[in-house]
Amino acid sequence: MSVTLARIEPSIAGVGDYVALLKPRVMSLVVFTALVGLLIAPGHVHPVIALTALLCIAVGAGAAGALNMWYDADIDARMLRTAGRPIPQGRVTPGEAAGFGLTLAVFAVATLGLLVNWVSASLLAFTIAFYVVIYTMWLKRSTPQNIVIGGAAGALPPIIGWAAVTGGVAVEPIVLFLIIFFWTPPHFWALSLYRAEDYARAGIPMLPVVAGEAETRRQIVIYTLILAPLGVAPWLMGFAGPLYGIAAIAGGAAMIALALRVRAERHGHAASKQMFGFSILYLFLLFAVLLADRLWGGLAAQAVSHFAA
Amino acid sequence: MTIVSNAMSEGPKPDTGIRLTEQQLRARRSRSIAIALALGAFVVVIFLVTLVKLGSNVLTRPM
Repeated sequence: MSVTLARIEPSIAGVGDYVALLKPRVMSLVVFTALVGLLIAPGHVHPVIALTALLCIAVGAGAAGALNMWYDADIDARMLRTAGRPIPQGRVTPGEAAGFGLTLAVFAVATLGLLVNWVSASLLAFTIAFYVVIYTMWLKRSTPQNIVIGGAAGALPPIIGWAAVTGGVAVEPIVLFLIIFFWTPPHFWALSLYRAEDYARAGIPMLPVVAGEAETRRQIVIYTLILAPLGVAPWLMGFAGPLYGIAAIAGGAAMIALALRVRAERHGHAASKQMFGFSILYLFLLFAVLLADRLWGGLAAQAVSHFAA
Repeated sequence: MTIVSNAMSEGPKPDTGIRLTEQQLRARRSRSIAIALALGAFVVVIFLVTLVKLGSNVLTRPM
């Protein structure tokens, strides 16, 4: 019996390539929104446990990113925006990325379950599976609703953060989930309006490619009209203060104004680019003010109880 | 015994293994350091969480 061994070229992948597989920018948004879910949750959690939960959520999100890059290497290579990623560049093999992603995913979920709780670990496992299997493997290549449904994966981190503290799920993190869920389509469709050729070349059925620019602009307005009142909901429901209310109303109004400009735009994509950039700021602003509101409220309550004692 | 003496009589074999380039060596070294740091961080996390969860109970050992 003779066995032929394929000669494998030793890897030139550096640490930076593996960090790139984790999609650090997406990861930072995931950690940030999970942190807000964690801090607005009722009850107390030891800071070490909270940091462990955030670390697991970050690693889990990174694992999902690596598995996404493993599966999407063929289309990444055809798009200008993603052609520089480690796999299309040949610095990391698809197998290495898959192994890296799977190992991190198992570690993140098991560690979160064993050290924090199994409700949050199950939600993290569901998020990773949803992003990789439902979004990456199925929806992304088959329907223009890809980022609408797939957006659920990106919207789940506040619920995971809340579950890490409480061991359950409640209406407050679900409202935060809905904010991110309805934010995702106008955000990505604004981008896809001026990247439509890139998506068409890769064969991804994004809305502007399949339904045209006019329909995409119309859908952006519809989703923004749902998003803006949802953004104000945490204040109306009483789990955010008036400062948040003001920021959410002002931010929501600006989002609607930008969406209407995108709708009215006939030549070029200046408004779409502006909408894409502002949408990131809008989501960051909502969660940052909610965080500041909660931290400030917590400190004020501590001061009051201190002086009362 | 015969095999060993045959092998010895052939003298040193030419090195046909994979020789890493400078870039590959550098990349492998950086990966190894990152794995060591990640493992170290994991150990620290487990240690700290053990202290937080068990506290002084870590010394309680029912017979």
